[in-house]
Amino acid sequence: MQRRVLAARQEGRIPDTVLILQHEPVVTLGNRGRDNYLLKTAEEYQAMGIDLFHAERGGDVTFHAPGQWVLYPILHLGGNEADSHGYLSNLEEIAIQTLGDFGIKGFRKAGKSGAWTDAGKIAAIGFRLKKWVSFHGMSFNVNLDLSGFQTIVPCGLVGEPVASLKTILGDSCPSMDSVRNSLLEHFSNVCQRDLERFDADGELPAALQDAMT
Amino acid sequence: MAVPQDLFYAKTHEWVSLEDGIATIGITDFAQSQLSDLTFVELPEVGTEFESGDEAAVVESVKAAADVYAPVAGEVVAVNSNLEDAPELINKDAFGSGWLFKLRMADESEVDDLMDADTYEELCPSA
Repeated sequence: MQRRVLAARQEGRIPDTVLILQHEPVVTLGNRGRDNYLLKTAEEYQAMGIDLFHAERGGDVTFHAPGQWVLYPILHLGGNEADSHGYLSNLEEIAIQTLGDFGIKGFRKAGKSGAWTDAGKIAAIGFRLKKWVSFHGMSFNVNLDLSGFQTIVPCGLVGEPVASLKTILGDSCPSMDSVRNSLLEHFSNVCQRDLERFDADGELPAALQDAMT
Repeated sequence: MAVPQDLFYAKTHEWVSLEDGIATIGITDFAQSQLSDLTFVELPEVGTEFESGDEAAVVESVKAAADVYAPVAGEVVAVNSNLEDAPELINKDAFGSGWLFKLRMADESEVDDLMDADTYEELCPSA
């Protein structure tokens, strides 16, 4: 579906679009995905109920599951003032500002990408540009079961802990809805794009409906 | 951002220099700045023939992968193999030693369809 929305954006049939969603448990490898960052065999992943998927994005191996928001901005990056800081830096900024909403200090790490907290890495980034339209994007850990990360070397970084809002805030962890709203609001500000929201199961504008089906 | 005056530019942020029917192709400084530090470059094979707009190469940074398109049609006559060990040349010198590949152009007049430096600069936000 992401590829169809991408094609629609490349052809100018739809404006810049952001998909925000949760994945069923899945380990994904990047464009140059290295199997040696997988710590289990294909059979073991299957037994754990985790799918394996080779994605076309940049970046290394990562884990997605319900309780984690995945933000896939389908943006034309070929000439918007807001994008001139670099799209990667914008994605990190969205994560850091979202953490700030919940009283958590987020930061970047030199030479690495993503958003970090004192408790570990909380947002992972990997994207691809085709005809200067972005796809894939960023995942942000809210309250997912982090054990899936123990089956991989996340982003090829050995010995780096992974955190979620839940591991940091415990019982005062915000709801998924509230985190989604923060992410989208900061996306709007950082990337300077006004968003109109639609529910994928509800009524969609005709061009988007066409692109998704 | 300095955009050399003597090159031609494609909307997808490639540059072309033309000499004796051979087009040298790279990505612009704006393009490299969007991708940050490049770590890997997938180059075409010498002898490959491209139509303009074909996917010709892939450049990857730590977190991003971007397709590079042939801005004009032609046959690949050389690739910049220095990039295999030193993809950062593109970050350091996008318009020079960071060139990607050379094409023998099928039709030299195709560069007329590309943009000049001033038009390209208008398209690009200043980095």
